[in-house]
Amino acid sequence: MTRGRLASWLLLPALLAAWEGYCRLSGIPALVVPPPSAVAAALWNGLAGGRLLPHIAMTATEMALGLALGCVVGFLAGVVLAEAPGLRRLLYPYIIASQVVPKLALAPLFIIWFGFGMTSTVAITALICFFPLLENTLTGLEQTDPNKRELFRMLRATRLQTLLRLKIPSGLPVILAGLRVAVVLALVGAVVGEFIGGRQGLGASIIAAQGMMDSALMFALFALITALGMIVYQATLRLERWLLNRQSKG
Amino acid sequence: MGFVDIERARFGYGTEPAIVDGVDWTIGEGAFHCLVGRSGCGKTTLLKLAAGLLAPTAGAVRIGGAAVRAPRPDVGFVFQAPTLLEWRSVLDNVLLPMALRGRPGPQDRARALELLDLVGLSAYADRGPRALSGGQQSRVAIARALVTRPALLLLDEPFAALDAITREELQDDLLRLCARHGTTVLFVTHDIAEAIYLGDRVAVMAAGRLSHTLTVDLPRPRPPDLRYDPRFNDLCRALRHAMDGEGA
Ligand SMILES: Nc1ncnc2c1ncn2[C@@H]1O[C@H](COP(=O)(O)OP(=O)(O)OP(=O)(O)O)[C@@H](O)[C@H]1O
Ligand SMILES: [Mg+2]
Repeated sequence: MTRGRLASWLLLPALLAAWEGYCRLSGIPALVVPPPSAVAAALWNGLAGGRLLPHIAMTATEMALGLALGCVVGFLAGVVLAEAPGLRRLLYPYIIASQVVPKLALAPLFIIWFGFGMTSTVAITALICFFPLLENTLTGLEQTDPNKRELFRMLRATRLQTLLRLKIPSGLPVILAGLRVAVVLALVGAVVGEFIGGRQGLGASIIAAQGMMDSALMFALFALITALGMIVYQATLRLERWLLNRQSKG
Repeated sequence: MGFVDIERARFGYGTEPAIVDGVDWTIGEGAFHCLVGRSGCGKTTLLKLAAGLLAPTAGAVRIGGAAVRAPRPDVGFVFQAPTLLEWRSVLDNVLLPMALRGRPGPQDRARALELLDLVGLSAYADRGPRALSGGQQSRVAIARALVTRPALLLLDEPFAALDAITREELQDDLLRLCARHGTTVLFVTHDIAEAIYLGDRVAVMAAGRLSHTLTVDLPRPRPPDLRYDPRFNDLCRALRHAMDGEGA
């Protein structure tokens, strides 16, 4: 392990120790800032007792479903818009406008449409993931090298062949960068969606813990959400590296 | 009437002066013609007109008597830049024309490997194009254009990125292959000696027009030490004068 990595691993325990020391010495109420030991205890209780497991599963499921739905629809819409310039010219101003709309602000409306629970959270997550995929697919497909397009024209490739064998492979790095953005947003979407309309899940549990003034549990949930995000983000990086590697090997 | 007939072909972008300005040219079946001219005079544009990648604004291009309106399956094109797909292996790049017409069969693969061997790259068949030097990439592009055995081959300065020795080897390989299959060739180059060595006829292009043509009356197949023959040098000088005449 390099010295830099070792230092960065040691930073976390150092910070936790400082935090613990501060809580004990300053006498700040545990309700305001719980010491790490209390957070660890809350986390351990929730996990070992199995109480938090269904919530983790719920949030992970919502995130996965929303991500998959949003990304598939966003990718397909990006392909359609890239292939149909007339349609793109027609819709582009609206797409730009909808980028600026804070999608989370639509969550209350989604609750009216889909009711409390998983469906509205999945829908809001999908809506948030839709845009980065749309945007990056459109950009990725349009960036195709004009020389390569001319080559495909010379080889009399059909439109579908040009799309599948030229535009998508050459735009893949940009499309996958959009996926990475979508993964981060999906977690935000799922947790905040649960804040507003969830009965179960890590976001809903934070609201419940807030109602019980259990700030140690809130910190524990926060740690779980961070861990979930890091796992999914790392998995996406792996997937990206694998796809690009496989592609460059032919 | 030849195999390729270019009749008063004009081409321009918008209202600017025409880039190809009334070119008349006939290439007989199986003939090897070269086109030389200074940078920016319209050589690539003329080649793209012949390929059907661009449509003339006036005049016509005919291949085998039929007007060219779109790229044809029996025409191969080597672009000025190698233009390989980085995410495909070298062999897959050579097989691309077949892959777009259906699944490449074992004979196609054998032919692609044979061509890669010919351009000296059989060891690189499974590598990605990123692992190749610029000159090696151009050689892959040449193999890709030859793999379909086109009746007409259009080449846009294909050997520009190669060293002198490799270039001479590939010139001989190209002549041999084209003679074997009776391929008609239109070859764009900057290099005067290359034009004389390869071509039956050399045309000089200047500002969108063909200003001179020169018939190369040298034996075929080209003898190995032709490049040091006085007749070869006389032709090079004549071509050089023709190019200077329009430049001054
Ligand atoms: N897409 C384009 N739009 C406008 N002008 C163009 C375009 N492509 C080429 N031209 C112009 O056409 C002229 C001829 O270009 P062309 O590529 O045919 O030259 P060339 O003879 O092949 O030059 P080189 O030897 O440098 O390759 C140039 O002056 C160039 O500026
Ligand atoms: Mg050119």
